[in-house]
Amino acid sequence: MSNNDTQRTVTVRIQRFNPDVDKKPHMQDYQVKMWPGMTILDALHEIKTHQDGSVTYRRSCRHGICGSCAMHINGRNTLACKTPIINEVKKNNTVTIGPLPYLPVIKDMVVDRTSFWEQYLRVKPWLIPPDDIPEREFRMSQEEVDALHDAEACIMCGACYSSCAVIGLNKKYLGPHALLKAFLRVLDPRDTAPGERLEIVSQADGVARCHTIFNCIDACPKGLNPTQAIETLRKLAQKRQKYEEAKAERQKHLNEPIPS
Amino acid sequence: MLTFKLQRWSAIALLVFLTIHMIFMHYVPPFHISFDVVQARLSTPTWKIIDILFLFSVLVHAMAGSYQVITDFESAFNYRKALAWASVIIVILAFVYGAKTIWAFQL
Ligand code: SF4
Ligand code: FES
Repeated sequence: MSNNDTQRTVTVRIQRFNPDVDKKPHMQDYQVKMWPGMTILDALHEIKTHQDGSVTYRRSCRHGICGSCAMHINGRNTLACKTPIINEVKKNNTVTIGPLPYLPVIKDMVVDRTSFWEQYLRVKPWLIPPDDIPEREFRMSQEEVDALHDAEACIMCGACYSSCAVIGLNKKYLGPHALLKAFLRVLDPRDTAPGERLEIVSQADGVARCHTIFNCIDACPKGLNPTQAIETLRKLAQKRQKYEEAKAERQKHLNEPIPS
Repeated sequence: MLTFKLQRWSAIALLVFLTIHMIFMHYVPPFHISFDVVQARLSTPTWKIIDILFLFSVLVHAMAGSYQVITDFESAFNYRKALAWASVIIVILAFVYGAKTIWAFQL
């Protein structure tokens, strides 16, 4: 990539919507001079600071950690702070940015995430540890850690949730983010409520509603796999009692050394 | 979850019955299908039972699938109990009608 390439001016096309004045969303173009390493979030800052202060979006950490800058960039949900603009510039020298789909727009790229958080809370995303907490740390074997498939790395950005076609039709569906969290807790050897969690995800708006469309996998900026988590929950839900018993047995040995 | 399971189980049954159907209807002599051929086949109790079970799997599979897709819409999801009962009634009616037709075949 030549230096000229990274320093040219590109068109950033933003979906604008202010419910106080607009009846429906419209696109607005801004010209931004790229610099090497510029991300989509940097381009938005550039616009907001120097061209149009009314452009509205969420952001916080700027390091792909907080999940607040998830938006729809060139037809894909991803994090604005993690996406180099040079990778997104199309042949017509344009990058198109909009809010996360399927969610009510508050203003420009800011969406109302109420349903996202409501579904999340339904799976009781917190850890429910055993009563007798050991003096030393809980111990997990390498296999137990591997089985989580890095699900703990989820930053709750909502990219998966708002790329899911089932969510587009039905906001009562738990959604990939909540099911991924349920998976994490169900497989966590320290958690004492796997049965209750499996019961919740087995309801009509739970795992059975996933159509394995795989959009959530494509969208996840952390490379996580909610579809695989949903599939695992489906299997465990079939043998709930056995699984609960096995887990209770495992919890008796949580503070013992892991046999090698 | 029950609908999900019904759809999977009926899919396995369909695989078995469809294989039987395809082999005996299309890949063994005589290689043409006429009313006489079908009538002769459906006059035997074994084929009657196979085809009635085949019909049942098709109906369960189709109804479970349609129910799942229809209740994907939030407006329909709110009425899922009523829709489930309607689906069960449709399956029973269609099954009785189809099974009676198959059972009536004679040479
Ligand atoms: S699973 Fe991935 S896309 Fe979904 S909320 Fe977590 S980090 Fe975001
Ligand atoms: S600003 Fe925190 S993830 Fe992008």
